[in-house]
Amino acid sequence: MNLLLIEDEPHLAESIVKYLNHEDFHCEWVDNLRLALEKIHLYSYDCLLVDINLPDGNGMKIVQQLKNTKSPSGIIIISARNSVDDKITGLDIGADDYITKPFELSELNARVRSVIRRRNFDGHKEIVFHKITILPDEHHVTVNGTPVSLTKKEYDLLVYFISNKNRVLTKSAIAEHLWGDDMDMADSFDFIYAHLKNLRKKILTAGGEDYIQTIYGVGYKFGLL
Amino acid sequence: MKLLRRTNLYHSISIIIILIVSGISGYQLIRGIINKEFNEKLFADREQFLYEWHTYDNIQEVFYLNIGDRVEVEAIPAHWQLAPTLRDTVMWDDYEKKELPFRQLIFSDKLNGENYAITITKSLLPTEDMVRGMGEFVLLLTIGLILSLTFVNWQISRKLWKPFLDTLAKLSEFKIGRPSRIDFKKTNIREFDELNEIVDKMLEQSQREYTVLKEFTENASHEIQTPLAIIKTKLEILLQDPAMTKEQLEELGKINESVNRLSKLKTGLSLLTKLDNHQFQDEADIHLQKLLVTKIEDFDELLLLKGIELRVAYLADPIIRMNNELANILLNNLLSNAIKHNKPNGTLSVRLADHQLVIENTGNPLQHEPSVYFQRFKKDSTSSESSGLGLSLVKRICELYRIEVIYSEQQGVHRMELRLPK
Repeated sequence: MNLLLIEDEPHLAESIVKYLNHEDFHCEWVDNLRLALEKIHLYSYDCLLVDINLPDGNGMKIVQQLKNTKSPSGIIIISARNSVDDKITGLDIGADDYITKPFELSELNARVRSVIRRRNFDGHKEIVFHKITILPDEHHVTVNGTPVSLTKKEYDLLVYFISNKNRVLTKSAIAEHLWGDDMDMADSFDFIYAHLKNLRKKILTAGGEDYIQTIYGVGYKFGLL
Repeated sequence: MKLLRRTNLYHSISIIIILIVSGISGYQLIRGIINKEFNEKLFADREQFLYEWHTYDNIQEVFYLNIGDRVEVEAIPAHWQLAPTLRDTVMWDDYEKKELPFRQLIFSDKLNGENYAITITKSLLPTEDMVRGMGEFVLLLTIGLILSLTFVNWQISRKLWKPFLDTLAKLSEFKIGRPSRIDFKKTNIREFDELNEIVDKMLEQSQREYTVLKEFTENASHEIQTPLAIIKTKLEILLQDPAMTKEQLEELGKINESVNRLSKLKTGLSLLTKLDNHQFQDEADIHLQKLLVTKIEDFDELLLLKGIELRVAYLADPIIRMNNELANILLNNLLSNAIKHNKPNGTLSVRLADHQLVIENTGNPLQHEPSVYFQRFKKDSTSSESSGLGLSLVKRICELYRIEVIYSEQQGVHRMELRLPK
């Protein structure tokens, strides 16, 4: 999977590239609009991460350009402004998703994967991890061939975990993924725990393994132990 | 009390006092003068009487005295000597058919060796009438003066104070956030011109400072964003390092929490700034009931977890015109506050009526006046979970849409009432 990040802040770009360049992802980075337009002209990408505020123009131009050429690339807008207007405009002209700075890398990663999955019409869309198979369109989960019924939150959690497998996920990142910005309370951490407990139990019952590892004081890590 | 009414009141009171004092003293003065005149007249009558009494033989027929005056002549023992004496009395008057006041002059005189007591009686009625007339006149004058002075004063004051009232009206329209200047007209009254000039200078100064401050807040909150995003992502990268020890990871977790808190603060502050800058222009008809239902659904899990009993009563479905995002933030902050500061197994009640939304929750008693919590960064606990901006956002949003917020707390029951504009 080829990704292109268009972001003018080098430190931020460096982290994003580092986090995303993992497994099957290959992420390139440009820091201005001109170079970005050149790149999308020459190569095709599975997903573009576009910062709105670029030194030589508005990132929306790239979205427009891609739409004009009927490019199949997925687009995620990165903005410093948490403005509903920007979000609506961005999504209206054809972006797939919108994320506001500052964000969690794990969240960005999950969104990129989700966008690529949705865009990837010909390939298989299922998510596979060890004994777990997920059909995202049907929200169908099987473990070891056994169907497992999950609540919406448990399902979201599982997909998020698998998207960020073998990564340490902070509790706040998980909370934000599940409930958005609105839930700004420590209470939600207890909640994550409750959901995790149920998820773990359901996977184990269906014949899976314990994939969830607690990182004390930080959060959780999902993967083969 | 209005200035005009107050000046009128003072004027009227002073007029009444002055007129009462001058009325009473004038009455006394006139009465004294009339009295003196009257007595002099009685004595003049006496002279006339004595002259005629000694000059003419047949005295009874030739008295020249005024009609209504009576003269009584009575023989008295020779050795009685009566000095001329005045006294007031009341006698029956045949003509008026009632008792009337009279004044008598009594003296003795000798005629042809006989001693007589002579009484000249004169009616006091015309004098009394005159004095009463005077009194009535003074009273009428008082009333007339008060009425006309009040009217004149009112007219004059209204004209005089008009520039001042104009200034007041313009000031009340003035909003510091708006880039407008007040155009004060020249009044030709030095004090008012001075006032306008000073006010103008003050406003200009505060507007300038306000703009500087506003720009600073805007820039600061924007510029903070990128470093914050960098710290956050670098932290996440660090967290993935397999070489990290357990202790180091824990430290990183704490840094992450603080960064999150900072990031929430930033979001809240920039929202407040945007509110102050009137950047939420587009409005829509918000169905409060519908919005409440979805918002409460969002908090379902949390209510369950904390064991909070929810009571909702939708008595009406008011529609309010406001920005959609702000309506969401408003209800979200109110509900999340009511849950966040609730007790385990407490209650949360939401009641929506025609022009009113009441959210009540159990919790801890407040440590300060309820209104204090609308200030930024005012909170009872120093816990990191609340930014201290939630209620000030509520307040600002409500102000923007003329919603009145009343916060009260009684024995641990917190009540947030929103009065919607009619």
